[in-house]
Formats: sequence, C-alpha cells, structure tokens
Amino acid sequence: MTEAALRVRGVSIAFGGVSALDTVDVDFPPGEITGIIGPNGAGKTTLLNVICGMNPPDAGNVFLEERTITGLKPNRIAELGLRRTFQSSQLFAGMTVLENMMAGLHLMSSTGLVGAVLRSKRMRAEEEEMRERALTALDFVGFRHFANRAGDALSFGQQRIIEIARTLIHEPKVVLLDEPAVGLSVNRVAELDELLRRIRDERGVTLVMIEHVIRLVMGVSDRVVVLNSGRKIAEGLPETVRADPAVAEAYLGHQAES
Amino acid sequence: MQVLVGKRAFLTALFVFLFVIPWIANEYHTFVANLILLYVILSLGLNLLIGFAGQLALANAAMYGIGAYGTGLLMKHFGLPFWISAPGGVAIAVISGTLLALPALRLSGIYLALATLAFAQFTFWLMTHWTPVTFGAGGFIPPPIDFSPLPITQETGIYYLSWGAALVLYVFAKHAMESPIGRAFVAIRDGEVAAQALGIDLLKYKSLAFALSGFYAGVAGALYSGMLGFVGPESFDLLQMVLHKAAVVLGGMGSVIGSLIGGVLLTVLVELTKEFKFSIEVAFGGLLIVFVLFQPNGVIVFVRRLLPGWNERLHYVPPGKETEEDFGAVPETDPEAPAEPDDPAEVPATQPRGGGPV
Ligand SMILES: Nc1ncnc2c1ncn2[C@@H]1O[C@H](COP(=O)(O)OP(=O)(O)O)[C@@H](O)[C@H]1O
Ligand SMILES: [Mg+2]
Repeated sequence: MTEAALRVRGVSIAFGGVSALDTVDVDFPPGEITGIIGPNGAGKTTLLNVICGMNPPDAGNVFLEERTITGLKPNRIAELGLRRTFQSSQLFAGMTVLENMMAGLHLMSSTGLVGAVLRSKRMRAEEEEMRERALTALDFVGFRHFANRAGDALSFGQQRIIEIARTLIHEPKVVLLDEPAVGLSVNRVAELDELLRRIRDERGVTLVMIEHVIRLVMGVSDRVVVLNSGRKIAEGLPETVRADPAVAEAYLGHQAES
Repeated sequence: MQVLVGKRAFLTALFVFLFVIPWIANEYHTFVANLILLYVILSLGLNLLIGFAGQLALANAAMYGIGAYGTGLLMKHFGLPFWISAPGGVAIAVISGTLLALPALRLSGIYLALATLAFAQFTFWLMTHWTPVTFGAGGFIPPPIDFSPLPITQETGIYYLSWGAALVLYVFAKHAMESPIGRAFVAIRDGEVAAQALGIDLLKYKSLAFALSGFYAGVAGALYSGMLGFVGPESFDLLQMVLHKAAVVLGGMGSVIGSLIGGVLLTVLVELTKEFKFSIEVAFGGLLIVFVLFQPNGVIVFVRRLLPGWNERLHYVPPGKETEEDFGAVPETDPEAPAEPDDPAEVPATQPRGGGPV
C-alpha cells in the first residue's frame, strides 16, 4: 500500500464539552480524490479545520506526508503544501481576481519591506513571475478574462471556481474543499466534476472534498469517508459506501425518504 | 479629461507648490503648510494600519505624541542634538506601536479599538501626570535645533525636513502597498482566516502594519516638536485622534493618494473652522460621521469617477458598491440559472487595473 499523503490519527475535539470529532482515523491516499459525506453537524468542516490548523485537536495527530503538523499554525501548514477553500466564498473583496490569485502565491515572494519600497529588480521580477503564474492558473479554469475584475464582482459560482484555482496556484500537495458545489447550477456542477478530475489527473494533487451533492461526490471520488456525529461510520469505494446499510441509515436514508 | 489632470502632474504640482511656499507665503501660511505636510504623513501612516490592514486602532495620536515627547525629552534631559533625538523619538514610537500589535492578535473590531484607546489614554495620562519626566500638563520647550552650517532658521529647516519626509513617505507607502506586503495587508483586512490559509503570517503582518503606523506618526511627532518649539499633552488628545481618522476617511480608506488629499483637506478645514470660530470637535466629529455613513471611501471615489487614470491597485471596494464605476458592469448571473452566459467583455488581462504608473 502506498504511503498516505495525509493521515489523521485518533483525532478528537470538543467544543464546550460537546464532542465534534471522536477518535477519527482517516488516510488520504496520494493523487486521489477522497469525498467526505455526512449529515449536517457531523463534524466534516471541523475535520478540515483540524487538518489545516485552525482548530488544534484535543487529542490525536495529523500527518502531512509522514510529518506531523498537529498544533502548527495554519500559515505554517500552508507553507508545507496544504491549501483549502471554505464553505462560504473567501475571495478578498478589495482585490482584483488577478491580485487574489497573486495573494495565493504569497509564499513565493522573497522581498521584504526594503525590496518592496525600493522596487528592487528582484522584487519586480518576482511580481512579474507571479502575474504570469496567476494568469496561467486562471487559464486552467478558463477565467483569464476575469483577471481585472473586483473579487466580489463575479457570480457566486465564478468566485468558487476562482477560489479553487487559487488553492492550486502554488503547487500544493493536498487541497481541501469544503462543499465546492454549494449554490452551483446543474451545469456548473458538471463543470466542477470535470475540473476536479483534471486537478487530480493533470496536477497530481491529493484532493479532499466535503460535498452534499451526492451525484458529484459519488461520481468523482476515488474513495468516500462517512462521518456521523463526529465518528467515522464507513469508508471505502463509492459503491461500497453507497451499499453500506449503516450509511443508508445515518445519511443516505434521510435523502431517499425525503 | 484624465489627460488634463494626471496623477503624476497633480503630485508634482502639489509638491512644487509646497516647496516654494516659504518663499512666497507669510509666516502663518508657511506654518499651515507645514501642518499640511505633517497631516499627510499622519494620514498615510494611519491608513496603512486601518485602511489597508484593517486594524481598527485608536492610538495614532498617542504615537504622534510619543514621537514628539521622545524627541523633545531626549533633547531636554540629555542635551542630545535633534539629529539623534528625532530618530530616538521615532524608534520609541515604533516600539510602542509594534507592542500594540500583540492585543491585535487576539482582539478585533471594537475590542481592539477599546484596547488601543486605553493605551492612548494611558499615554496621555503619563504626559500630563508624570511631571518629573514629562513636565506635566504645562508641557515644555525643547532646546533650539541647530541647522548650521546651513544658513536657515529652525522654521525653514523643519519645513523642508517635513517636505522631504512627506514626499519620501508617500512613495514609501505607495510602493509598499503595491507589493506582496500590500496584498498581505488587504488579505488580512478582507479575510483573516483565508489569508492565513494562504500562508500569510498574521503576527508578522499585523506587527508590520502597527510598526509602520508607529513610524509615520513618530516621524510626524518628531517634526512637530521642532516646528512648534513646544511640546504639551493637549496636542495629542482624543480630538487629535479624531482628526487623524477624519483625514484618512476624508481622503479614502485604503488609498495612498487619498491619504495625501485627506491630509491636505483636513488641515485646510481645521484652519477654516478656527477662522470662523466654529467648534472643531463638532465640525470634525460630524464630518467623520457623515463620511463614514455616506461616503466611507472618501473623496478619492469622486476623483476616480472623473479621472480614470487615478485608479490604484488594491484600493478598497466595498461589496456591491462602486464596483460598476470602477470595473465596468458585470452581468450578475443567477447561480441557479440553467446556462450561464460567460462575460463577453474581455478585459486585457496583462495590464494592471487602472492606468499609468505613478
Ligand atoms: N468553533 C466552534 N465552536 C463551537 N461549536 C462548534 C465549532 N465548530 C463546530 N462546532 C460544532 O461541531 C459540530 C460539527 O460541526 P461541523 O464540523 O461544522 O459540521 P458539518 O460541517 O459536518 O456540517 C456541530 O455541532 C457544530 O455546532
Ligand atoms: Mg460544514
């Protein structure tokens, strides 16, 4: 078996005495798409928050390529090659789309205050390179023509796609997506499906995706993990998980009935 | 129209005009022009902190006072020349400013405002009550500044120092904000959590924002002590904080050129209220409220509307406001619409938004 790109071991976390995650173990294989599903409040977002360093766990460990990242600050974890999106759109409203993408390359810059103020040659060269890379990353999602738009002057769906492009810009190892299809039209979901496959196949990125649109998550995921009330209740191939009675009971059941 | 008043032409004219003021204007008008230069510096520094980095701090007047007191007291108590005391005063302001970044890591919004206000009140209390060191409520007169071998008076010397500082610090702010540092500031302002997820170190950039505003206020304070030849606590009270904030808001939050305009406008307005014996507290408290409510982005918005060449990278555009004027109309697409017509208006992506580099 190949080494996991990302490994969650025995992670528990509680908020005000209420357990949100209870000794969760998950391995995320490299270069694969892992879908995370579960009813509302199951702890899916909390799991991403623990992985990316926003919520340090009460117990357990997170490993990024065998290196423990538990307790590191989110910006340190980002430096080690992890990126994420959020349930709500998080483009910076006061920047253009291009500047938003360049902000995603923040760690590429080596210019300090002096270099910036003096507009050093290196600083200008770096800015130029960042701009080129930002445009290339926009090309990847076909949005180059939005480069000079304000971050929030786009439709919600467009913002979400640009956010995904922003996570990819600095060659991450692992990308976490929190409900990328929320609020998207049917056509946009189909485009997202294709985009996620391209990210995996062309970029070799390990993807972790929380998603409620079952057709998307079952179609595109290589493996699916099911959370319910802070516990992992199932994991495996999409077909296996779909057939699991415990899952049907906890989650899919609700949907089938309604 | 934009050919008529380019940004660069405006800047050149303004600074040339300010340069010749001591030759063509009387002593009082030269003094006002010097105040303009100081308020430009103060407004630039505060804008970096509240307009760009989004840290609602209310200690700028205290930092200004620390710069002035630091400079004056080093001269008075230790007999140091201005050329050593002024950098010393600025250094003290930078250090105090940077320390204020510590609460900013835990607090935001109104809580940060209150914490920094408490610091400002404490500083003010020290200025008025720590008499053995600060000479108390009555203030003190620092020793005269020696500009020799230059054959100029203290007033003229300080005036040109202020002129040079304002010019250099304007360019400094503009360049810093058009760099990864500016993007990091705006990212923190617009979404701290998302900024951190992109690798932006909050401690580093918040400290930098506070240090920079401390530096600007410290420089203005050091120059102020030399300009007035007197340092007293009443110059650094809450009203002073309101004036700094008013200059930033008047010019435009998150706009470097806006701060320049804001500093000029504010000083002129202050002198006018004095002229007409109008309550300065009422005038500027009111002005601040009106602008915050109705035009939070300052007069620079009107300037941009008239003169597209005045657009800046990384300027503040609040959600759903001003976006059309600034970026061309975008058809709002319904997320649930069956087919989304992608925007036909192609924007040449290889050019930065806005116009000529200034
Ligand atoms: N920061 C927090 N403070 C308090 N409770 C939280 C916090 N984050 C999550 N929770 C709680 O943890 C549980 C799991 O939430 P979440 O991970 O957002 O669920 P999901 O994303 O699966 O819908 C919920 O009961 C939620 O109220
Ligand atoms: Mg969630």
